[in-house]
Amino acid sequence: MENTLRQKAKELLEKGEVKVVIGYGWNKQKTHTTPVFITKPGDAGKLVFNPLCVNNLSLYLTKKFSDIKALGKPAIVAKGCDIKTIAVLISESQIKREDIVIIGMTCNGVVYKQELWKGELKPEIMPTKCHNCDVRNPLADFVIGEKIDFKAPDEPTGMVFDKIKGLDKSSNTERWDFWFEHFSRCTKCYACRQICPLCYCERCIAEKNMPQWIETSAHQRGNIAWNLKRAMDLAGRCTFCGECERACPANIPLNLVNQKLALVVKDAFGHKAGYDEKVHPPMIVFNMEDEEDFIK
Amino acid sequence: MSNKLLKKENLGKLIDALTSEGSIFVAPKMDAQQVVYAPVINAEEIVFDYIVPVNSFKKFLFPQTEPIAEFNINKEGVVLKGIEIEPKEIIIFGSRPCDAICCSSLRSVFNWDFKDEFYNRREDKAIVITVACTKADDSCFCTTVNLTPDSPNGSDILLRETTDGDYAVETITDKGKKFVERFANIFSLNSQVPSHKPIADVKPIAGIDVKKVKEYLKDTQHYENPLWAELARKCIGCGACTFACPTCHCFDIVDEGSAYQGKRIKNWDACQFEFFTLHTSGHNPRDTQYKRWRNRFMCKFNFYPNKFSSRGCVGCGRCIRVCPVRLDITEVMEKVSNQP
Amino acid sequence: MTEYGHGSFEPKIIAFVCNWCTYAGADLAGTSRMEYKPNVRIIKLPCTGRIDPLFIIKAFEKGADGVLISGCHPGDCHYTTGNYHARRRWIAFKSLLEFTGIDMKRLHFSWVSASEAIKWVDLVNNITDEVKKLGPFVEYKGLNE
Repeated sequence: MENTLRQKAKELLEKGEVKVVIGYGWNKQKTHTTPVFITKPGDAGKLVFNPLCVNNLSLYLTKKFSDIKALGKPAIVAKGCDIKTIAVLISESQIKREDIVIIGMTCNGVVYKQELWKGELKPEIMPTKCHNCDVRNPLADFVIGEKIDFKAPDEPTGMVFDKIKGLDKSSNTERWDFWFEHFSRCTKCYACRQICPLCYCERCIAEKNMPQWIETSAHQRGNIAWNLKRAMDLAGRCTFCGECERACPANIPLNLVNQKLALVVKDAFGHKAGYDEKVHPPMIVFNMEDEEDFIK
Repeated sequence: MSNKLLKKENLGKLIDALTSEGSIFVAPKMDAQQVVYAPVINAEEIVFDYIVPVNSFKKFLFPQTEPIAEFNINKEGVVLKGIEIEPKEIIIFGSRPCDAICCSSLRSVFNWDFKDEFYNRREDKAIVITVACTKADDSCFCTTVNLTPDSPNGSDILLRETTDGDYAVETITDKGKKFVERFANIFSLNSQVPSHKPIADVKPIAGIDVKKVKEYLKDTQHYENPLWAELARKCIGCGACTFACPTCHCFDIVDEGSAYQGKRIKNWDACQFEFFTLHTSGHNPRDTQYKRWRNRFMCKFNFYPNKFSSRGCVGCGRCIRVCPVRLDITEVMEKVSNQP
Repeated sequence: MTEYGHGSFEPKIIAFVCNWCTYAGADLAGTSRMEYKPNVRIIKLPCTGRIDPLFIIKAFEKGADGVLISGCHPGDCHYTTGNYHARRRWIAFKSLLEFTGIDMKRLHFSWVSASEAIKWVDLVNNITDEVKKLGPFVEYKGLNE
């Protein structure tokens, strides 16, 4: 599979169809994968693809990376979950479909803790998103890899969803204590925002200080405001790539809050993010029949 | 070399003695599935099997967020009050040599043009007890930046693990000596010479020559080398490296409150953030991410050592471990060392 | 006669209301000299569609014990569709706050039109009673810095 990928990348660069291939490469010790930007056909050998390829590379297609945009038309190596994010970006007019070339990779799952992958992909070492993946055979310009036979469960399963169910059942005080403890660890490093391809606001609300809506200090009050605001802004857009939780240096379970909202949006508005780039994100449209039994 | 021994079983007594006096005992502990420096109240909480904790202990000397002044507006006008801190004694147990040395770097910047009492008072009351490293991982590179896994620099007390599972004690500073004397009943005298566990063998990375790196950075022509864009293009500007780094010290001052009362607060800041050098005119001298990353590299190996004559990088490897895109500072050092 | 507590807890309720319907309704209650509990502080906005979820968080941060959001009935919005957008946001935001552990009895939504002064009065009285029973919002007030 890797060889086909390298061939394809070399071909695209030689023909001049793309100017840069954004993909995964090894780090120095070959223990982690890291994003690489291949501009010369001869460097295509650096590309790799394996379950350690966890990054969501669609981040580099967003507007803040002006120097990458300046390189020219990109081809992006993307797993199914990454392509979902690209679909949302297209639906929000951040990129045009014809401006990029998507090299889709069939994927059986990724592993976050690199030392756990010893060559065999066992379900218990994969994150929740992979257990529920229904895009293992992605839609792309070129698909590399063999077709995978996997049916995602009808009801979302896995650690994240079990925890959400558990929290839904507990009392208000228990929920508050749970979140209070987690959000207290937030250091306001904004890694969650920086790594999220959908957090592309040129000026984040957290950076506005006239007035200061979200306090930048890492105290409990400022942390709760920041995390709730970010979750709300991702409602109906988050495609569960899981990068925010992976990047968080304080291990805050961000997937819980983002996926809870995804479930709410699916129930209330019938929308699942990332499957159709022509559909508007749910929070900018409305339906006359939206439920209002909570409104007096 | 002192002949004192600290038995692991006496750690509990040490913690009790200190916390009963109101001191804070910080040690590596497990929190949210990772090892971090945090206050502990009993010895069972301490983790002994770790390379380095994910965070550095600078947050106990230079907090993430702290109020530095208070103001309120009443009938008479504005009443501004500076905050005077009276920190409790803080014992940092289980520090590593790469962490302990950060104190001298932080002290240089916080006493450069203004004596920052918020840092100084805390550091005066802090006692750093370092445990020399018996193992390392592939992100450690202290020897590449001229440090060793058992360097006493910056520590008050250096502990070396013995094969029995206890610690051989070596006092480095006066503060350390006084501490050991204060708890003479806990630091036992050892009659035989303890056999130490071997110190970790961290080989300096072959392709890196720190002197060459510094020389390269001195030449302002090299600033515009396209090498920087290639190496740091993948940086996402998250700030995780800055917050985990023991020597990074940038801070931001903000005012929080309402129209009639509030606080002036000092928070951690990072040169990786987009608005770090954003001018009010809208111009940003470091407008793309690779320029901001270049700044971090230059700060560590050029600006900081030149300005403060102390270390910018201690080789702990935290930035490498915590980076979501695995941008490896040693790879950049290697490329730069090999530039013509 | 409204009883204003002597030493007992009086909740602070912030009401974000739309200018064209609910504010006019509250105004009508005032001009009609209707008495109701004084615990609510009204913040007038042009439309409920202007309400960002951050306003609600900020209200709780600044010491509100309860928040009320009120606007025009669906179909009556002065800006045609503002309240429909707002309704969508509230569905999502309410679930988020509930998931975080904030008691939903502290957050209320309603449609009050310019002629429904009596509804406004009843609404404020009921909400004040409900929030009073819950007590001060100690979880948020207890957030230290």
